[in-house]
Amino acid sequence: MEIVVVAPPAPGRLEDLKRRFFATPLQTLLSLISLTIMALIVWKLLDWAVFSAVFTTTGGPEACQAAAGACWSVIAARWRIILFGLYPFEEQWRSALACVSVVVMTVLSCMPAFWTGRRIALVWGAGTGLYYVLMKGGVLGLPYVGEEAWGGLALTLFIFVTTCLIGFPLAICLALLRRSDLPWISRTTGLIIDGVRSLPLISILFTFAVVLPFALPQWLQGDKLYRVILGSALFFSAYQAEIVRGGMQGVPAGQEEAAMALGMSYWQRIGRILLPQAMRNALPATINQFVISFKETSLVVIVGFFEILASGNAAYGTGEWRFAYVEVYAFIAFIYFVFVFSLSRYGAYLERRMAVGER
Amino acid sequence: MDSTLPSGPAVHIEGLDKHYGSFHALRKINLSVDRGEKIVICGPSGSGKSTLIRCINRLEQHDGGRIAVLGTELNDDVGNIDGIGREVGMVFQHFNLFPHMTVLENCMIAPVIVRKRPRAEAETTARRFLEKVRIPEQAMKFPSQLSGGQQQRVAIARALCMQPQIMLFDEPTSTLDPEMIAEVLDVMVTLASEGMTMICVTHEMGFARRVADRVIFMDAGEIVEEAPPEAFFTSSRNERTRQFLSQVLGH
Amino acid sequence: MVSLLRNQKVRNALLQALYVGSLAATVLACVMIARRNLAEQGITSGFDFLFKSTGWDVNFSLLPATANDPNWWFFLIGIVNTLFLGTTGLVLATIVGTIVGLARTSSNELARLLGRTYVDIFRNIPLILQVFFWYALITHLPTPRAAHEAFGMLLTSRGLYVPVPNVGGTALAAAMLAVIAAIAFPVWLGRTPRLNQPFGERSTIQLASAAGALACAAILLAVGRLPDLPLLDFPALQGLNLKGGLRIPPEFSALAGAIAIYGGSYIAEIVRGGFKAVGKGQMEAALSLGLSPWRVFTQVRLPLALRAMLPILANQYVWLMKATTMGIAVGFTDFFMIVALTINHSGQTLEVIGILMAGFLAINLSLAAVFNRINKAIALKGNQLRG
Ligand SMILES: Nc1ncnc2c1ncn2[C@@H]1O[C@H](COP(=O)(O)OP(=O)(O)OP(=O)(O)O)[C@@H](O)[C@H]1O
Ligand SMILES: [Mg+2]
Repeated sequence: MEIVVVAPPAPGRLEDLKRRFFATPLQTLLSLISLTIMALIVWKLLDWAVFSAVFTTTGGPEACQAAAGACWSVIAARWRIILFGLYPFEEQWRSALACVSVVVMTVLSCMPAFWTGRRIALVWGAGTGLYYVLMKGGVLGLPYVGEEAWGGLALTLFIFVTTCLIGFPLAICLALLRRSDLPWISRTTGLIIDGVRSLPLISILFTFAVVLPFALPQWLQGDKLYRVILGSALFFSAYQAEIVRGGMQGVPAGQEEAAMALGMSYWQRIGRILLPQAMRNALPATINQFVISFKETSLVVIVGFFEILASGNAAYGTGEWRFAYVEVYAFIAFIYFVFVFSLSRYGAYLERRMAVGER
Repeated sequence: MDSTLPSGPAVHIEGLDKHYGSFHALRKINLSVDRGEKIVICGPSGSGKSTLIRCINRLEQHDGGRIAVLGTELNDDVGNIDGIGREVGMVFQHFNLFPHMTVLENCMIAPVIVRKRPRAEAETTARRFLEKVRIPEQAMKFPSQLSGGQQQRVAIARALCMQPQIMLFDEPTSTLDPEMIAEVLDVMVTLASEGMTMICVTHEMGFARRVADRVIFMDAGEIVEEAPPEAFFTSSRNERTRQFLSQVLGH
Repeated sequence: MVSLLRNQKVRNALLQALYVGSLAATVLACVMIARRNLAEQGITSGFDFLFKSTGWDVNFSLLPATANDPNWWFFLIGIVNTLFLGTTGLVLATIVGTIVGLARTSSNELARLLGRTYVDIFRNIPLILQVFFWYALITHLPTPRAAHEAFGMLLTSRGLYVPVPNVGGTALAAAMLAVIAAIAFPVWLGRTPRLNQPFGERSTIQLASAAGALACAAILLAVGRLPDLPLLDFPALQGLNLKGGLRIPPEFSALAGAIAIYGGSYIAEIVRGGFKAVGKGQMEAALSLGLSPWRVFTQVRLPLALRAMLPILANQYVWLMKATTMGIAVGFTDFFMIVALTINHSGQTLEVIGILMAGFLAINLSLAAVFNRINKAIALKGNQLRG
């Protein structure tokens, strides 16, 4: 049989549109509904956020409140408190720089060139150290600023970064303990992991912030901020440990046997053979976990920290800007969105890339 | 190095027992392998061949009897086991190369981190053994970029780089295509001719005939028969052995 | 001694004893210190406080509550509130998620774009920020006197007022059960594989039973109706306050709404994943059998997708149930807020933390048990039908 290939006539623009959106009555209906919804939302949003909005502070809150659209002047007037909290005004450049150092650190650790245990540790150690020195001061001629004055976006980032910095190694330890051959060690660790996972994060933060001081000797209590970070790191590590363990289960048993047959010690097998492969398997889920835990840092507002949400509440809560809460929340939501969205896009990209690489 | 070790058999096994839960996988195994001797172990699937050689390098722990390797007994003493692992190399059915390292790194890692050899020296050794298994040109590739036969030869080179005194092979050719089997067997024959002590689980009877000093037939966790290849193939009396041989060799 | 330490079995035993022992010792030390500290404040440990009255009140409760009620009653109220908020949130989130998820898998590009925008926006903003936002929005609504009105409902800064039927409590509950039965029974009938059919076609039985149950509900409502009042009680302004109807407090609507919207974005992704997991081959096979697209969807695509979704969905539900603890941020008296308040008022820190853990463990375990049952019930027999 002879097969004749007939090229279909190149469709015109109109036909193309018709085929894509109005092929059947049902399709047409769907398209029209979607189009209406979209048009309505986009128009209303644009009108509110741009056309009828007030951008300058010249008229003050009164002029702003009278306007039909958004009152962005509240951001212009209060962005410093949202981003930096109660950090001393003249020193806020340090807070900004500290944020930049964290962002740079995150971007660097997304590059495959830094994906060895040592380099990642170095980047995170340096980034966090730089942040700490900049924020706290007391050295290099920078005036000292205590943790109680930290706030806003800078504090949010600090809590997130330190949570990961403590939680990640802890997660690896927990995962290793849980897959140990020694039954009592693996069972006890399993109990800890599952116990923490069954609790809501808020209850853990509350316990660490409010209850723990009762149960610790004076010298061990430390600052409330660091206790909360510890609690949040514990929570992170319980979830991350299961992800790492999943990654380890994906490494064939033969890999460890081969390493054993070559005479490698336990730590050499773990460090050189098991973990590099397990972390690779676990990478997409790990990034997802980072995304989730970045969003969850916002919960520390409940135990009384002045992070970005609390400073946002303060930014509109006092007096003349009381009506402008939507704008403030929109601004904070936008900041979160930028961080979370780019991180999760990056995760999706990695997942796709790895799926292709497997073939 | 050899001179410092006590003389005597390379592997000495006496009354070895091994259970998996309630399943009795090895029953009262007695076996002695001299230095330089080549042993081929065969037997039906599930007869305990892998379990036996995995006990020799302590991938499995036995629960009865004694195993002495190069004069050191394998028992609960941690120090003994560490020492022995380096002197016994193993080649697996599924190669088990490290996929995140190049071929060269696969061959270098153990000498560098276990034997603490300088990297340059380890690399020279690695390249020498890759030459020996006839794939020097693949050194910078990753395992997934090689054919099965090439991968298995890398695995042999990797084990040799530790310069072990005993080599264990667990069905090294059973997942390979015929022409690849030949590549791998050639390397093993060369190795045998150089005097390496070898214990091979394999169903390649041609290989057994050419190089084995003794052929051991196992069934249901026991050594059923133990004989030089000639006698084993031609004049075995044992019913189970003959049945097995007729299956492996075809009719 | 040295040789003993080199023995692997001894080492293993020592390691385990050391690990478990040090953990136990840490916990024990913490408890002892806490007990001593609390004793110094005049708080004796024990569970006697459960039976003392609280001395404070809750702002939202499905059960009757006064400041004279004992602490254990308040814990119960908290758990009921958590379950109520959680279930409302879950149901709403599932509805939202299903709609958005279907939009995301639809063949229409515009609908897909819309669904995707929704997911991208609401998934990437923290839940608590959304809770704050809705709460602020509701509490900035006009006062009752200037309330917005829609469909007999009133939107005010004091909450959402909805009309309720003027029917006695028991009758209302019974009628609700009847409505649930009207939906559940035909579904169950449809799922039972073989039915002796003395009454005719299955679909007839299904219809008849549904109609019967609905009729029952109507009769119950009519019987239980409070005398001399209109059927529906509409909220209305009386003096400075609103009378009548049911008030849904701002805390509750903000939380339920935020959970529905945020959870919906996650569930949409799960729904999409479930449909993606159904192999093309199975659908093509079904189509080639001459089944109509609608039947292919309901009989092949949907059941298979549901099975793929369920385990992930179960995790998501557990997560959402735990998210009700954000109630404390806006002052909704969920289980966790009751716990925090009890600690503040009674000082029985250790005991209350224990109750908190036990409570969430119980909630998690029962949710897991329910989902295991469902999973088992719908699991494919054998492995032959995997996509
Ligand atoms: N880890 C284990 N747990 C439980 N049983 C095992 C385990 N490893 C092996 N066995 C059992 O021990 C018996 C011997 O296994 P072994 O792998 O030594 O057989 P084999 O002779 O190598 O077979 P094959 O030729 O198929 O590789 C088998 O019946 C197997 O089922
Ligand atoms: Mg085997």
